[in-house]
Amino acid sequence: MQEVRETPVAKKYNLDGAFASHFAKSMFLTVSGLFILSLIGTRMFTHIDLNLYGYMVGTLVFLGGFFYRFIAWGERPPAKLILKKGIKLLGRRSTPKTSVEHLATYKFIWNRGIFRWTQHFLIGWGCILSCLVTFPLVFGWMYFTMEENGYYTVVALGMDIMKVDAEGWIAYLFYNALNITAFMVIAGVCMALYRRLKNMQARAEQTFMYDFMPLYLLLFISITGLLLTFSNVFLHGFGQPTMSLIHQFSVIVTLIYLPFGKLAHIPFRPMSVFARNYREHYSEQSMKECRVCQSEFVSTEQSKDVIDVLGQNHLQFEKEEGFHLAELCPPCRRKYRISRFSGIPTHEIKVKEANQNAKG
Amino acid sequence: MGRKLFLELENCIGCRSCLAACTQCGGHDQRNRNYVLDVNPFVNRQTMPLMCLHCVNPACARSCPAQAIQIHETGAVLSALVEKCIGCQNCTISCPYGIPKFDVEQNLMYKCDLCIDRTKDDIPPMCASVCPSNTLQWLTEEEIAEKQQQHEMENGKWVTSMPYLESETNVKINLPGILQGKEKLF
Repeated sequence: MQEVRETPVAKKYNLDGAFASHFAKSMFLTVSGLFILSLIGTRMFTHIDLNLYGYMVGTLVFLGGFFYRFIAWGERPPAKLILKKGIKLLGRRSTPKTSVEHLATYKFIWNRGIFRWTQHFLIGWGCILSCLVTFPLVFGWMYFTMEENGYYTVVALGMDIMKVDAEGWIAYLFYNALNITAFMVIAGVCMALYRRLKNMQARAEQTFMYDFMPLYLLLFISITGLLLTFSNVFLHGFGQPTMSLIHQFSVIVTLIYLPFGKLAHIPFRPMSVFARNYREHYSEQSMKECRVCQSEFVSTEQSKDVIDVLGQNHLQFEKEEGFHLAELCPPCRRKYRISRFSGIPTHEIKVKEANQNAKG
Repeated sequence: MGRKLFLELENCIGCRSCLAACTQCGGHDQRNRNYVLDVNPFVNRQTMPLMCLHCVNPACARSCPAQAIQIHETGAVLSALVEKCIGCQNCTISCPYGIPKFDVEQNLMYKCDLCIDRTKDDIPPMCASVCPSNTLQWLTEEEIAEKQQQHEMENGKWVTSMPYLESETNVKINLPGILQGKEKLF
């Protein structure tokens, strides 16, 4: 029998109806947004730096990969759930604090080790600051003009923001921003490479493509970028045009690769804020009691969500005792398994698990 | 190559060597990821080890919104990738055996990875290499098949793995015959 399908009715004024796919819509809106911002930023395209058009094209290709990868990922049942609920909960009062801790100061990495934190902080902020300098320049959201001699005017989004002394220290920081971030990234990447050579666990699990490639790409970008400065300062610009092309190539390749490898965690990481909000919010609403020992171990909402997601993956853990395994707290779930092995109802014996933590 | 972890549950004497050994595995950061549980604590001293059974279709990985739990080519279900784990703890709720542990400070899940730095080169995992009572063994497929065949009784009483687990796993288990009223002849 032929399946009867509901014909999609084109609704008036419905934005989604205008696009062939989610991907097309995201892409169109983003590119339009960039175009409008550039239009404003460059004062109707009168101040655009066409030297940098390669980066512009690279960014557009990157966007294609980015939406392809993340829209596909967002269709997975658990990801879809946390995305939907996470966005709703963004208004929580704890969001700014969580965001700073997770996305700016990396407090959780500090707790994993100071070496790793330093390494991550250098690479992370090196990259973020570089992007904050590069992309406004590429799209003309920021540029510099000099009307009276010796003073630069910084123009951001078409507005004169500040005047800086061309010889002053602020201007010095502006000129050298990318050199400073390059040194940060190089230092961080060297620390990461050192760890990958020494740490046994890292050595066991790492692969060239997933773990080393991104580090080498960052190194490639930073070194070719620094060589540009080197050629300007020490070689009177010898080889500068070639080197700038190589540098541009390195950046574009990295941008295209970014959504598909390890670096994909950069755009993905805000999800950890969603996850924290999700857990905090629903824990305040109501807690789930373990069906065996009645201790509260997770929010009711999350327990329900996990059972849903498992069901969608055809994993059915309903037991003849009348509970789903996800309704048991982890210790009771372990004891329940022992009871399945032994035939003795271990999970119903009210004794805490003893001696579980060996001191290494 | 291709050896697997095999548990003979009734051999366990509760020494917890496996827990201590687990802390020493590279990258485990001095914390054990396995368990030894009392079976009937008010009655006798029988214990049984429990660790990740490395499901073929792991619920933890299925419920992970970040795809942080990867499956190694050897079949081992790895601990969360540090850069991907977002700390939602779905895995600790979904695991039918209650195995994954969560570090709140590091916002990171960690679980048995079958000592992948060792087992990928066919070196037994830490727990199996120290077990003094042969509860945890590192065996080839043939050896496991032999063990299982030897334990199969005509009355079907000595059953292996599946009905007592939720799905197919890479770690194989021999159910304790003694506890099912069968005596084991050493």
